[in-house]
Amino acid sequence: MQKRAGIIEVNNLTFSYGKDKQALHGLHFAVGEGEIFGFLGPNGSGKSTTQKILTGILKGYGGTVSLFGKELREIHTRDFLQKIGVLFEFPYLYANLSALDNLHYFASFYPKEQLRDAEKLLEELELKREFWKKPVSSYSKGMRQRVSMARVLISSPRLLFLDEPTSGLDPAGAVLFRRMIENERHRGTTVFVTTHNMMDADLLCDRVAFISGGSLVALDTPAKLKERNSDHAKESTLEDVFIKCTGRRLGE
Amino acid sequence: MKKSFWSLCRKDCRMMASGKFFFVALGSFVLYTLFIRFGYLQFMDMEIYNVYLYDPAGTQTEVSSLVHPVASLKEMDALLVEDANGVGIDAGDGRPRVVLYTGSAKLDCHRADYALSLLHPGREYVPEIVGSDNLEMKNRKDITCELLFIEIVAVGFLGIASVLFKEKQMGVIRVHAILPVRKSLFIGSKVLLFLVTDLVFASLMTLCNVGLAEAGDILSAVLIQTAILSLIMALTGFICAMLLRDFKQFSLAYLVIALFVATPVFLSANTSVKMAWIHFHPFYHVYRSLKNAFFDRGVTSPVYYICVVWVIILLYGIAWTALAREMRKEG
Repeated sequence: MQKRAGIIEVNNLTFSYGKDKQALHGLHFAVGEGEIFGFLGPNGSGKSTTQKILTGILKGYGGTVSLFGKELREIHTRDFLQKIGVLFEFPYLYANLSALDNLHYFASFYPKEQLRDAEKLLEELELKREFWKKPVSSYSKGMRQRVSMARVLISSPRLLFLDEPTSGLDPAGAVLFRRMIENERHRGTTVFVTTHNMMDADLLCDRVAFISGGSLVALDTPAKLKERNSDHAKESTLEDVFIKCTGRRLGE
Repeated sequence: MKKSFWSLCRKDCRMMASGKFFFVALGSFVLYTLFIRFGYLQFMDMEIYNVYLYDPAGTQTEVSSLVHPVASLKEMDALLVEDANGVGIDAGDGRPRVVLYTGSAKLDCHRADYALSLLHPGREYVPEIVGSDNLEMKNRKDITCELLFIEIVAVGFLGIASVLFKEKQMGVIRVHAILPVRKSLFIGSKVLLFLVTDLVFASLMTLCNVGLAEAGDILSAVLIQTAILSLIMALTGFICAMLLRDFKQFSLAYLVIALFVATPVFLSANTSVKMAWIHFHPFYHVYRSLKNAFFDRGVTSPVYYICVVWVIILLYGIAWTALAREMRKEG
């Protein structure tokens, strides 16, 4: 696939929580416009720290991080935040408000011309219409995850950060989410996915990076990574590559 | 920015309503008003001690109507057993002798003097009254000020924390970290709503319990002091809610504040107990200023207002930092 200019460019990224806790050791990677990039690693490997730096939550990093062609430190935060969407692993919503009220509330911080129709999004995400005006506290986790996805997409972000996007969804929901993510890519959105789910990574991502102990240990397309790891007797899976690269099992 | 701010205000208003905050505030107002009208004022009108007189020969000729005559010493003893704060006077031999269950030495002297003064009511010393308030108005202002202070310190402080703990529990504070909205607006919308609620509460309390005519003269000064207290408490509640893990920890912190911070202020401002260090206690000055406002002696010292502005700026800075810290937490 032909990629255009890098939306994310990370060079020699370092970060430490205090003197003795070095979280990242000089990461290098770039993500092209319209690419779905998977960022995989065991718990505590530095995935969240990297994502927090990329979303502007953590400051004080070393090296350079360029987003939309500009150094992150120099981007005016409000303009930058209008261009990105972040889906957290857990569906953080106002439980006392309905799905529509949540969406209208979160949408109110973005320019009008950037907004998508809340009802249409809920329809696309297959949230039953009778729940639209009910408080989110009455929803299942899967339904909340759908509303969270709608929250992220409502501002038509150019860069999406998705943390475990299919967590809490049934298989049909996971398929729907993967389709939605694909659709976003076709709209030109760049997607940065953090996940433990190897099937998501394999099916969705153009390229995946494995991080372990704060360092990148592998970066390539899923197919090439699997091919490199295969022997004549057995075809390798992405999970095998993960275990080989990080020395740890999934979820550790 | 305006649109974002009103959006935050609307959402906070709904959070406060769903947490029954307005209902609690209205309930407090009704309860306080009923207490002032039908409890406190009646209570303040009562005799301070019951006085029982045994005088079979009728030697005491100018006895006050507040004294309860008894037929025998046995009856007086029985009454004093049931009413340990009461004072007995045995004038069986024509010379009054005070009988009482002992408490503290100073209080015993006061009780004895009070009881003996009722035997000669015509000789009461009439003091010169300073100020224009009659006794009932003074009592009304005193209690309204105290209840208003308690309401803002307690309910406002707990109210903002309960909204924030709900938001923390739902994880939505972290979502605001990646929304194009300033942290100052997030803090400002909450503080503004609690400020408006406290001002409405203070106005209603003053108008209903002090009276329309009196309230007209003092309301503006009362509202200024209420606003100062409300801002300080809302920001303190905000900081505590951000730094403490859950509402249990917060409740403990609140108990510490109530017991060790508010108690010395009330003691020093309302009783003759004076602690040497109380002038260094910031709440003492805020409470005194609120009380002075009720008695039409508004604070004019610029030092007080400069200190208040600095305290509010400092608290806002800490609140901003605590919010940023909460937003950085693991998602």
